[in-house]
Amino acid sequence: MLRRVLAAVPIGVIVTLGVFALVFAMPGDPLRELAGDKPIPAAVLAAKRAQYHLDDPFIVQYLLSMKDILTGHFGTTFAGADIADQLRLRIPVTLKLASMGLVFQWIAGLLFGLYAGFRRNGTVDRMLLLATLVVLAVPGLVLYFTGQYLLGVELKWLPVSGIRDGWPLSYLLPAVCIGITGFAGLARLTRTSIVDTANADFVKTARAKGLGEQRILWRHVLPNALLPVVTLMGIDLAGIFGGAVLAESIFNLPGLGQFMFQAIKLKEGGVVVLLSTLAFLMFIVINLIVDVVYGAIDPRVRNV
Amino acid sequence: MRRLTGVVGVAAGLALLLSSCGDGKSSGGSGDAGSKSEVIGIAADPLEYINPLNDNGTAGIGVSMAIFAPLVTTDPETGKLQNVMADSVTPDQNSQTWTIKLKPGNTFQNGQALTAKDYVDSWNLTAEGSNGWKNNGFFSKVEGYDAMNPPAPDGATPKPTSVKALSGLKQVDNLTFTVKLKVPFSQFGLTLQYYGLAPLPEEVRKNPDAYKRKPIGNGPYKLAADWNAGDDLKLTKWDGYKGPTIPQADQITYRFIPNADTAYNEFLAGNLDFVDVPSTKVKSFKTDAPDQWVTSVSSGANYLVIPAWDARFKNPKLRYAISAAIDRKAFADLVGLSEPAKGLIAPDIAGYRDDACKYCDFDAAKAKQLLQEAGGFSGVLNINYNTTSATGQIYAEAIGNMLRQNLGVQVKYTGKQGSEITELADTRKLDGLRFSGWGHDYPSIEDYLTPMFKSNGDANFAGYANPALDALLAKGDAEPDPDKAIAVYQQAEDIALEDLPLIPLYTKSNAYLHSAKIAPRVSKYVGVSALWATFK
Repeated sequence: MLRRVLAAVPIGVIVTLGVFALVFAMPGDPLRELAGDKPIPAAVLAAKRAQYHLDDPFIVQYLLSMKDILTGHFGTTFAGADIADQLRLRIPVTLKLASMGLVFQWIAGLLFGLYAGFRRNGTVDRMLLLATLVVLAVPGLVLYFTGQYLLGVELKWLPVSGIRDGWPLSYLLPAVCIGITGFAGLARLTRTSIVDTANADFVKTARAKGLGEQRILWRHVLPNALLPVVTLMGIDLAGIFGGAVLAESIFNLPGLGQFMFQAIKLKEGGVVVLLSTLAFLMFIVINLIVDVVYGAIDPRVRNV
Repeated sequence: MRRLTGVVGVAAGLALLLSSCGDGKSSGGSGDAGSKSEVIGIAADPLEYINPLNDNGTAGIGVSMAIFAPLVTTDPETGKLQNVMADSVTPDQNSQTWTIKLKPGNTFQNGQALTAKDYVDSWNLTAEGSNGWKNNGFFSKVEGYDAMNPPAPDGATPKPTSVKALSGLKQVDNLTFTVKLKVPFSQFGLTLQYYGLAPLPEEVRKNPDAYKRKPIGNGPYKLAADWNAGDDLKLTKWDGYKGPTIPQADQITYRFIPNADTAYNEFLAGNLDFVDVPSTKVKSFKTDAPDQWVTSVSSGANYLVIPAWDARFKNPKLRYAISAAIDRKAFADLVGLSEPAKGLIAPDIAGYRDDACKYCDFDAAKAKQLLQEAGGFSGVLNINYNTTSATGQIYAEAIGNMLRQNLGVQVKYTGKQGSEITELADTRKLDGLRFSGWGHDYPSIEDYLTPMFKSNGDANFAGYANPALDALLAKGDAEPDPDKAIAVYQQAEDIALEDLPLIPLYTKSNAYLHSAKIAPRVSKYVGVSALWATFK
C-alpha cells in the first residue's frame, strides 16, 4: 500500500502541473474579469499583478503555488478571501452534501438494480428502464430548478437555498437531486450484472450440483455480480465533487464546488490547483478503499 | 447481503458523523413584529471585506451605503445635491480648486470625531498605487496623482516612489480641506456623492486588513453581530448618525446568493424582503409576484461598439447604415423592460434630449442605400458576445439577423469571456462589433461622454478619438454654470452622434421585487432603494 501511495506522488505532480497549465492557458486576464467593465488604473493593476506573481513565468507561478500548498500558507484569493478560512467553511459543506447525495444515489441504485435484476421484465424492471431513460435525458439544471421550485417555493417543505437550516434539512433537497441524477447508471449496471451472473456457467454448475437457491444467490451470484458495481460506486465517489458544482451553485451551498467554479471563472490558478490537489488526494484514498472492499467481496484479488 | 449493507452503513455513518459538526446557524427570518427589520437579497458572491475605498462593485458599494455616509447626496425628490457630511462644497472661479467644509459634531462608530484629516489621509491611502485599492483611479484628476503613481508603459512595472500624499489635497483646519485638480472640472461636486470616497477612522487606516470584516463607518448602520466568511451580514441602526435622510429599518440583513435565479426563488418562498429581478425573469416577474414589484426609470444606456482600428468601418456612412438597419423597438422588446435609445446618455440624466440621434430610426431602405454609398462592406461581419451572460448569444443573433436581412451582409458570431473581449479591444485586436453598456457613477451627462468618447477615456471601448470633442469636454469641465456646462456637453454629444463610434441600442430599466411589508424608495433621480424603504 505504501508503494501505491509513493507512486501517487509523480502522478500528483503531473496532474497539478497539467491543471495549472490549463488554467494558465485560459484566455482573458483574471484581474480584468474581477473588475468587470470598470477601468483599472495602471498603478492598481501593477500592484495586484506583483501581489499574485502574475508576471512571473509559468513554472515559477506553479512552484510558488505548490510551495503555498505544501507549507499551508494559502493566502487570499484575487477577490480578497482568506483561502484557509474558505476551506474551513467549505470542506464540511461539500462532505455533507456529497456523502448524503451518494447515500441516496447508492441506495436507490442498488435497490432498484437488484430488484429489477432478480425480477427482470417485471413491472419494476420496466418502470426502472423508463425512469432511468428520463433521468438520463433531463438536464440536471432543469431537475434542480424544478425541485427547488416545487419543494421549496410552492410547497415550502424544504429550504430553497443556503445552509442556514443546518444539516440535514438544508442538504436534503440538493442531495436528493444529486441522488436522482446519479442513480440511473448504477441501477442499470447492477441489473445487467445480476442478470449476466445468474446466467453464467458457474451458477448453472452450482445449480446442477444441487445447491439450494438461497446459497447460490448469496454465495455465488451476488459476490460476483457486485464486483463491477463496487468499481462504479468508487468512480461515483471520486466524481461526486464534479456533481457538487452544479448543486452547490443552484442551491447556494458554500462548498468546494462553488469555490472551484468561482476560481475557474476568475482564472485563479492557485486556488484551482489547490482544490484539484484535494480532489486528487481524495481520489487516491477512495481508490485504496475500493481495493479493500474488493478484497472483502472477492478473496481472489486480496493478494494481487 | 451483509457485506453490502456494510458499505452503505459506512457511508451513512460518515454522514451522521459529519452532521455532528452542525452549522450552528439559525434562520434570519423577518424578526419581531414590533421591530422594523428587512432581509435584502444580493445576487452576488458574498463580500470578502467591507472597505468602500477598495470596492467599486454594486454589492460592496450597496452595503457601504448602509454603513458609511457620503459628503453629499442627490435629493431623491428634487434631484439637487444635498449635504450629508459636508457643510459646504465650493469651487473657485474656474472650478479647479474645491473647498470642502465638514459639519461639526459627526463621529465614527468607534467614537472618534470625524475631521478633515480623516478624508485627506483616507484618500491619500487610496491614491497610493502600491496598495492596489480599487478606487485609486478616482484621484487621477487630483494634482500630484502622477507623482504618486508614476505612469509606466503598458505591461511595465511602475517605478517605486516615496511620495505618499497627493499635493492637491490640503487640510486647512479641523473641519476644512481643499482639493486642487489638475485641470478645471465643473462636475467635481457631483462626484463627491460616491460612497467609494468614504472616510476611514485612524485605527482602520493603520491596519485596514485587521478591520476588513469589522468595518467602522460613519453611516446609519453598524455591524450587529460578528461577521465571518459565509455568514449573512447583519446590521443594526447606529444612533450617532445625524444625516438628512435616515432610513426607517431598525435591523437589516444582507443575504448573498450568487445564483440570481435562486435569489429570485428565495423571494418567492417568502424568505427575502427585496431582490433584483434577473434578466431571465424579465418577462414573468409581474405575474410571479403581483403587486410586489417596482421598476426604476433607467439603469444606463447600451450600445453596439464599432472598432475604430478596423479600416472596414472607417466610412461614416457604413456606420449610419448599420445604425439604420437596426429595429430598436423590436430589440428593446426582446431585451424586455427597455426603450429604444435616442441618444448617447440615459434618459434620467439632466441634458437628455429625445431627438439627439439622427441615425437611430429604423429604415431598411435608407440603410441599404447608405451601405451602397459607403461602397458596401468587405468580408464577414463578426459580432462578439459575452459567453458568461445568459443573454449574450441571443442578443448577438438578433442584431446579426437584422444586419443580414436589412443590409445583405454576411454575419458570424464569436462567443468569448467578457474579460477577453475587453482585453482584445484594449490592445486593438478585437475583430468586429461587440456590445457595451454604461451606467453613470454620478448623475451627469459628462460621466457618459468623458469615459466613453474622450480620447483614451477610461471606458472608450471603440478606441475613438476626436480633438474637437475633447476640446468641448474641456470647455464644459471649466464652465462653472451648470446649465451652460450642459449646453457645451450637448455639443460634444452631437459630435459623437455624427461620428457614431458607438451605436445607441436601448436604455433599460431595472425591476425589483419587494415583500408586502415594505415599499422601496423609488426616485426618478437615484433609482430604487431597499435601504430607504418605507415600512407598512
